[in-house]
Amino acid sequence: MLFAGLPFAQLATIFGIAGAAVVALYILKLRRRTVAIPFSPLWQKVLRDKEATSLFSKLKRLLSLLLQLVLLALLVFALGDPRAQVAFVKGRNVVVLLDASTSMQAVDVSPNRLGVAKDEVKTMIRGLGGSDRMLLAQMDAVVTPLGPMSGDTAELERDLTLVAATDTRADFARALRFATDSLRGLDGAEIVVVSDGHLGDAADSFGAVHLGDVKLSYVKVGKGKNNVGITQFSVRRYPLDKSRYEVMLELTNTGDVDSDVELELTGDGQPVDVTKLRLRAGERLPRFYPNLNGASRTLEAKISLTSGGHDDLPADDHAYALLPERHRAKVLVVTAGNMYLDAALLLDEYLDVTDVTPTEYVSTYAAAANTNAGKHFDAVIFDGVTPASPPRSDAIYLDPRGPGSPVKVLNELKQPGFDKIDRKHPIVRFTALDDVNIARGHKLAPEPGDKVVGASEEGPILVAGTRDGHKFVAMGFDTRESDLTLRVAWPVFLLNTINWFSDDDATYLSSFRTGDVWRIPVAGDFDEASLKLPSGIFTDVPVHEGRAVFLGQHAGFYELSAKAHRGDARDMSTTPKTAFAANLLDTDESTIAPSDTLVVDGKPAGALEGFHVGVRREIWIYLLIAAVLLTAVEWATYHRRVTV
Amino acid sequence: MGLLESLGLTRGKSLRASTEKDDELFGDDFQRKLDYLALVSKRVFAGRMRAERRTKKSGSGVEFADHRDYQPGDDFRYLDWNVYQRFERLLLRLYEEEEDLAIYLIVDASASMGFHGGQKLRYAKRLAAALAYVGLANLDRVSIVATNDRVMERMPTTRGKARIFKVFRFLGELEPSGTTNLEDALKTFVAQNKRRGLAVLLSDLYDPEGFERGINVLRYNKFEPFVVHIVDPTEGKPKLQGDVLLYDCETGDEREVTVTPKVLEKFAAAHREYTESVARFCATRQVSHIEADVSVPFDELILRVFRRGGFLR
Repeated sequence: MLFAGLPFAQLATIFGIAGAAVVALYILKLRRRTVAIPFSPLWQKVLRDKEATSLFSKLKRLLSLLLQLVLLALLVFALGDPRAQVAFVKGRNVVVLLDASTSMQAVDVSPNRLGVAKDEVKTMIRGLGGSDRMLLAQMDAVVTPLGPMSGDTAELERDLTLVAATDTRADFARALRFATDSLRGLDGAEIVVVSDGHLGDAADSFGAVHLGDVKLSYVKVGKGKNNVGITQFSVRRYPLDKSRYEVMLELTNTGDVDSDVELELTGDGQPVDVTKLRLRAGERLPRFYPNLNGASRTLEAKISLTSGGHDDLPADDHAYALLPERHRAKVLVVTAGNMYLDAALLLDEYLDVTDVTPTEYVSTYAAAANTNAGKHFDAVIFDGVTPASPPRSDAIYLDPRGPGSPVKVLNELKQPGFDKIDRKHPIVRFTALDDVNIARGHKLAPEPGDKVVGASEEGPILVAGTRDGHKFVAMGFDTRESDLTLRVAWPVFLLNTINWFSDDDATYLSSFRTGDVWRIPVAGDFDEASLKLPSGIFTDVPVHEGRAVFLGQHAGFYELSAKAHRGDARDMSTTPKTAFAANLLDTDESTIAPSDTLVVDGKPAGALEGFHVGVRREIWIYLLIAAVLLTAVEWATYHRRVTV
Repeated sequence: MGLLESLGLTRGKSLRASTEKDDELFGDDFQRKLDYLALVSKRVFAGRMRAERRTKKSGSGVEFADHRDYQPGDDFRYLDWNVYQRFERLLLRLYEEEEDLAIYLIVDASASMGFHGGQKLRYAKRLAAALAYVGLANLDRVSIVATNDRVMERMPTTRGKARIFKVFRFLGELEPSGTTNLEDALKTFVAQNKRRGLAVLLSDLYDPEGFERGINVLRYNKFEPFVVHIVDPTEGKPKLQGDVLLYDCETGDEREVTVTPKVLEKFAAAHREYTESVARFCATRQVSHIEADVSVPFDELILRVFRRGGFLR
């Protein structure tokens, strides 16, 4: 027997002092209530009988004193928190990994899998032994410990209420590493995974997770498997007609029975398309919607069972996407006359093109270009001319020459062409430049930091870069001396370049993936931004290197706006807001059939054992209960005048 | 300041409440009912005035009582000539003379009578007033005596219905006090009242020296005792519990008691036994006795119980 609370000597002292006080109180004669009677001799006989039993009365009084001392002893003993030596040494240290991934939102059990999982954990908490300690952690895209490792059941139950479902997949390997790290060096280490079992391999970039001597237990949650989910959803505008867009999505039936579903596509809240589909068991059905129009911003896809109701996992029946925002770009073309250039720019109705001659540019725009007036244009295209000083705008230089060129123009190329192309660069996406014939061209000399997008064998011919904070693209040949202008690639190249200038490029993502750390560009120089979550709640997120950093955990539409510091006099109402969408779109998470086993490190997890509600190992609880019972007995006997 | 005073239970203070309703001793209706009642005495007493009672004294009454031998000097008018004709003996006719009755109402005004708000004393006063009224209405001689361990107050003998207000005044001024000693008090009483008669003792009989002695004093001195035992049933079932210090409101004796249901049960039995012992004593000594329960409405006691007990006709 060990005392986990106060030491024995201290307990003895407390008992001695309190016991002496109790005895003193018994010795002291209590003042009795005075009551008048009319004729005392009547009481004589009664009292004579009473006196005959005075010995018994004394014994009862002694018994009462003894009872009080026993009560005191029980309480003092409880203060010591006595533990059986075996239980004291062999207390368990348990880390509970509670799966809060998307699949745990399945409603095949009531109220849902996460609710059942929380009930299971609550049962475990109440079945903790006196020496056991437990740490609760929420497992989704990240691992979130909900509190310290503790044996306090009330604290653990409070921690449990913090668990909330997310629209992410669980990072099992990370969770296991966290658990093994938490249990390192502790006796009786045990990891309990409460999940539906769809956790993937317990391995990450560092390799497979090894549990060592740590015991792994698995509590299975869930029973259903019928689910049809949206597993892909993407939208983009056509580069040459931004009023139109195309949608690609994929539905997956992860269940083992055929399902009839209704797929509804809405744009800006208005129905765009409704289709009834039949998905066979396990079928993945891609759907492609070309040439759609009508929506300017938001797109949503929803599926529902044609029979009404919903499948076991409603969370993956709804997907969100945002179309890239359209805005009218102002383009200044400085040319002596180029029909091919004008024709290409006419293809995009969202371009506001102004043609000027080189003379007009020098007389009118070049002076203003050095002032704020030059910012009126999103892009300036110099066709066969090069200004003495660069404009305060992004610019395209076609066949640059002279000292005003952003890159040095070197010797003429003997066989100009696009022998090498950086196909990942946004300005050449969707273009085929390999076989462009060029009659005459010059080699360009990029500066450090510039990007060579296209080059012939002899040297760079297409360079992109940044000068004084403004992007530029320089092409080392006159397009009219090539067949580029006769190709589809020509207008695509121009529009790609203008989009790249305005960050409105073809790399636009219609939605982010939940569970990833998002880095969203923030216009302006800010350190913090305010993010409006799909739930409508605002949260502050840090801005690092011009991008807001946030771990997204819920699907839906988000809105990000820069946030000024206190004392910052900038007008925040003019700060542009960035909207974006987020989805999980994960086939693994949509596959909700619970797994009966969980294998980690080549070993299957065992069944949960050793958590029995009502069997506590703390002796002090029983001592306290005994004290309460004794008090109740004393109270009853006192009021019934048995012990007095 | 004594213990009782400190507890706000001084005798005077607690017992003064007994006079609260003394002004309402009789209502008009009640007086009219009592007009039809008369006291009945089982025995005949000699009286000084002619009234509606028979006495042992033979005289000029109309009802024949007995014969006795003629003695020289006797009135010839009472010789029974019929008897002389038959037996040749001179016998004198004796007639019972109707005389007035002496009624003594002895009211115990000790402190115990003032217990529990003076309920018992108030009851005794009403009984005494009622009996006095009936006595006065029948031209009897009524005297009232208040006692504790001595004769406290004494209302001189009076006659006639008109004196009832004197009775009310006397009774109204009575306050409970002192200890009970019936023997000493009644010895004084018999010494002060040479004329024998009906002695109605209204008391709770809480006499530490024994109620028997007091009643015997009356018996031995040729009074006809009539015991009205004033009983408050709540005294047999006190509402006590736990550790208490009991003190006698008369003697001040203190006693520590732990009251349990069992103790209360025993006390109730003792109280009942005491009441029965009074009845038993009176029955064996042929003393008229009646138990006046203060919980019984006063009218009912006067009109039914007394009649049933042969006290009223």
